[in-house]
Amino acid sequence: MSFARWVSIYGSTYWTGLAWTAFIALWASFGAVVWGCVLLLIRLSAGRWGARGVDAYVQLFRNTPVLLPIYLIYFAFPMIGLPWPAVVCGGLALILQNGAYISEVLRGSVNAIDRVQFDAARSLGLAPWGTFRKVVLPQVLVYSLPALGNQVVLLLKDTSLLSAISITELTMQAKLLTEQTGAAYEAFIVVALLYLVLVSSTEVLFRVAHHAVRWR
Amino acid sequence: MIPPGSLALLAQGAAVSLLLAAAAIVGGTVLAIVLAAAAFSRIAAVRALYRVYVYIVRGTPLLVLALLLFYAMPALDLRTGPYIAGTLVLIIYTGALFAEVFRGGVLAIPRPQWESARSLGLPPVAMFRKIVAPLVTRYTLPPYVNVCVMTVKASSVLSIISVWELTLAAREIIERTFAVFTILGLAAAFYFVMCFGIDRLGRRVERRLALRGFAGERA
Amino acid sequence: MIAIRGLRKAFGGLRVLQGVDLDIGDGEVVALIGRSGCGKTTLLRCINFLEEYDAGEIRLDNTPLWYREAPGGGRQRVSEAEARRQRQQMGIVFQQYNLFPHMTVLDNVLLGPRFSQRVSAVEADQLGRRLLARVGLEGKMSAYPAQLSGGQQQRVAIARALAMRPKVLLLDEITSALDPELVGEVEDVIRSLLSERIMMVIVTHALRFAREVAHRIAYLSDGAIVELGSPAEVLDRPKDPSLKEFLRHVR
Repeated sequence: MSFARWVSIYGSTYWTGLAWTAFIALWASFGAVVWGCVLLLIRLSAGRWGARGVDAYVQLFRNTPVLLPIYLIYFAFPMIGLPWPAVVCGGLALILQNGAYISEVLRGSVNAIDRVQFDAARSLGLAPWGTFRKVVLPQVLVYSLPALGNQVVLLLKDTSLLSAISITELTMQAKLLTEQTGAAYEAFIVVALLYLVLVSSTEVLFRVAHHAVRWR
Repeated sequence: MIPPGSLALLAQGAAVSLLLAAAAIVGGTVLAIVLAAAAFSRIAAVRALYRVYVYIVRGTPLLVLALLLFYAMPALDLRTGPYIAGTLVLIIYTGALFAEVFRGGVLAIPRPQWESARSLGLPPVAMFRKIVAPLVTRYTLPPYVNVCVMTVKASSVLSIISVWELTLAAREIIERTFAVFTILGLAAAFYFVMCFGIDRLGRRVERRLALRGFAGERA
Repeated sequence: MIAIRGLRKAFGGLRVLQGVDLDIGDGEVVALIGRSGCGKTTLLRCINFLEEYDAGEIRLDNTPLWYREAPGGGRQRVSEAEARRQRQQMGIVFQQYNLFPHMTVLDNVLLGPRFSQRVSAVEADQLGRRLLARVGLEGKMSAYPAQLSGGQQQRVAIARALAMRPKVLLLDEITSALDPELVGEVEDVIRSLLSERIMMVIVTHALRFAREVAHRIAYLSDGAIVELGSPAEVLDRPKDPSLKEFLRHVR
């Protein structure tokens, strides 16, 4: 049957997949940014060992594929008494992986902030946590916005790997549809287009946010 | 501790992953040179085609591209296994990434150097051989190595389309023996050695080139 | 000699050159001065066709360059190969980033003769060494550009331009990016070239230097040569009001 006809019949079934993908991407991105900030804080405040620990963590996640932590959490957690749902396991893996990259992005931004600001904050009598919260973090986040956007897009694309642990996000949806209808081309082309739309929307969102914040 | 025979299996899987990555890197580099040439074509339509290609490859998850190709291949009547489909998809993927790296390298060449080469009246072949290629190499080595590392990691995605490599080997062993931590730890170690090794190799090459005058320009 | 007639160029809506006429005799040195944006750099770049121009003619020794008459009337660009050949008659030195960082100083100088003019390796080598000695850098032949100071790099760039045995040397603010103490060595090299009677077109802010080496100075404003004459005439007895203003600011 023609592509258009196929879409009109099966198009609505994509909504489940789309919802799951967006849902996971949303809270995993948020979690990854938070985790990245935590890693940054550890790096900045826990002395040489803190920095070394974070370095080791980052190097580990930089040099291993994201499927490994996904499998690890999914298979191992039930074994150690944490029978969490697949979605949580998958999202957690994405947070751990992308948090590493995000902490590196934030670290680069911290180096870009003028040293003078740290001195100014100290002379105002701000404690380290206060300095971090009020001076460092806001500026670092604003400065990193474009690079953070890139990471969120990567995370969005990584959600497709969660199909390997049977989560019914977009890619899984396409596989199911393929098996049901035998129309592989149509199923996956629609999914590809949907991802393109998601990715482009995210990029536009971050660009708009970047402009908005820059005008302050 | 370690299930018997699994270390050997994982090592074999790692070798397959490395081979897949190597094939993708070679193929991707060749494809990228063609693509980068298209990116700088005088014909606007060709440049647009390049941008569309990069947009699609970068905006779609690798898994989706792989599945598309994997399911599309029988339809195209190509009786080839998942390995060919997998390698092909990796080449398409890395080709786009390398092309962007090369394009960035070309754009990084300061304008007076282009104009000096033009003013010296250099013919195109000499221009490419003596100016463009060496300079682009100089500017793109770090990101190129980065993409190589990404390719090794990307090969693990192919496990989902039944390409037997390190990740699939690990998953199979886990489903048999339930030694999750050990096996995944070993698999991670293999990946780490491969990726970290490529990174170190890249740094060594970079240092070697720096000695021969690739060091930064003085203002 | 060079004859420029009626040169016009616009970038989009902005008219950068509005009818420039200039003659440069054999062995003459002409300096182009003016505010930023007056068109002096664009004029220079049109001479060796790094910029295309919309109307006008440039002749070198009475041969028109860059465009020829199209069969159906109007004009058309010469082929790339012909443009390359024509460019070899001119040498150009830019403000910075002239040299190729991945080649030694000598290789930089030899590049043009070896690959564009097909000079033999032996001959090119001798030529390169001679020119580098001329600019005082024979000791740096095997060095890489990154190991040279800005002034030294510019001197190599001049040697490289001269290696092509050009009829005219185009110099685009070659000392503007240098630390002050390095400017002198570059100006010395230019001074030493005066005896070779090679045509030079120098875009510069350094009026003191222009007075010293130029036979004539052209002051450009809004894309046209507004005043043209000997250094004494243009710098000491300016007639045009915008030139007077310009000189007052530069003093």
